[in-house]
Amino acid sequence: MSSAPAQTVPAPSIVVIDDDPAMRLSCRKILDKSGYRVETFEDGASGLEGVERLKPDLVIVDLKMPGISGLEVISRVLEADPSAVIVVITGYATIDTAVEAMKAGAYDFLPKPFSPDELRIIVQRGLERRRLMLEARRQELERELLRRRFVTFVSHQLQTPLAAVHQYLNVLRQLEDDSEGAARRREWYERCLKRVEEMLALIRNWLTLSAIEGQCLAQQRVPVDLNSIVASVLEECRALAEPEGIRLEARPAPEGCLCLGDPVCLRVLLENLVSNAIKYNRPGGRVEVAVQPVEGELELSVSDTGLGIPKQYQPFLFDEFFRVRQPGAAGKPGAGLGLAIVKRIVAELGGRIEVSSEPGQGSTFRVRLPAAPSGVPGVASECAEHRSDPSLWPVPSREAESRSR
Amino acid sequence: MAGNTTVLIIDDDDDFRTAVRALLESRGFTVVEAASGQEGLALLTECRPDLILLDVMMECSTEGYGVNQAIKWREEYRDFRHIPIVMVSSIQESPDQLFPMAGEVDMIRPDFYVTKPLDIPAFLATVQKALESASHHRSQPG
Repeated sequence: MSSAPAQTVPAPSIVVIDDDPAMRLSCRKILDKSGYRVETFEDGASGLEGVERLKPDLVIVDLKMPGISGLEVISRVLEADPSAVIVVITGYATIDTAVEAMKAGAYDFLPKPFSPDELRIIVQRGLERRRLMLEARRQELERELLRRRFVTFVSHQLQTPLAAVHQYLNVLRQLEDDSEGAARRREWYERCLKRVEEMLALIRNWLTLSAIEGQCLAQQRVPVDLNSIVASVLEECRALAEPEGIRLEARPAPEGCLCLGDPVCLRVLLENLVSNAIKYNRPGGRVEVAVQPVEGELELSVSDTGLGIPKQYQPFLFDEFFRVRQPGAAGKPGAGLGLAIVKRIVAELGGRIEVSSEPGQGSTFRVRLPAAPSGVPGVASECAEHRSDPSLWPVPSREAESRSR
Repeated sequence: MAGNTTVLIIDDDDDFRTAVRALLESRGFTVVEAASGQEGLALLTECRPDLILLDVMMECSTEGYGVNQAIKWREEYRDFRHIPIVMVSSIQESPDQLFPMAGEVDMIRPDFYVTKPLDIPAFLATVQKALESASHHRSQPG
């Protein structure tokens, strides 16, 4: 079946360059019938002009032509548009000429004589190739744009605290030592320290993210006892929760339910989720961490009774540097990296994460992780301490920056 | 010069506002603070500043340019158009790089532009220059 292009988008356009009038005519007839837009040219020079003007989706070119050769047409078309797709027609179906053309960048070749179906098939394949190449280029451009925007944001995030500290010290040096001087100096030193700590934590988180990007974070796939990690993370977070009167509760999985993953990563993941749940809770609220087997996987859920996340923000929650803007969330320290780290860890471990949230009621983050085959002993979190480069790990939850939403 | 001069600082960084406020107050300025662009615009009528110090990047967007544009071009802020604006940012890109479309940049080009952290003598000189430009502008007929 020839694929007649849909009517809403313009039909793919094809340029045929061949010095043989009969060949031009038959190509035009066959391709017209398939619904393509076809233009033919009798030599390399006019063909190249046509390609430049029409920007076709596919170029069909004869290798043996007087004047500008087919090979030269190939290299000049590709020079102008590296994602151009070129099919070569060769009268002498020798391997040598075809190989030469392919080396010059042609996508495929068609030996003469060929049947209408052979032409149609090769054209369809070429157009599919073109579509993929354009799509790849579009994605490439998008990535580049994102990367550049990202660099701007990162440098801004790093510069802001540094600039604030610099400003304090610089102004302190300028100010006269009046009666308020000593008190002011003490207060500003405290503020400087806080900003420096914030920046250190940001850099550590940032390094963690880059490490995950380089695929060197989750080094192990071992059966892990999530219950013990939950217990130790909750213990660690108690100091953070108590001043706010927040209760931390665990609902462990039945004995022997293990997930498959990297204990260090899972610990980082849990620390981020639990400290978020505390940070965005209300005073006197509750955080519940549950582990349970669901549909052959292990589900880890962290629920809070806090602010909740408005619907419109939920899709962006796991984006780097995203922070929810709402009354009550303002002024909470964080750069918006915590959940980005969580997302990457989950992805790397072959799991998935979702959030459900009701503004004013609280949020629940559910992480699904692959379950370990039953009957193997689990690894607890202790081996986390043996990882070679501890500087790569996010700071413990007490510090300001390790969590963010 | 600073005698009765009011400076409105619009910046989302508490610490930056605190430091600059102390500096300006030590030089005899009256300082009013706003933590967001919106708050800053709302304060205009109330505090009638002689100069606005405006941060470019607030909440991870170039909100400062929006505020600048609102004051310079929107009808409801016409009474404040003459107030000189000194834009402050830690990002190094000039407005021309951030807004490459021709024409666009002229709409939002700040009167004065300084980078964080402020070089204090240079900053104070810019403030002085901005205030002088405004009084000069106002003494012109029309």
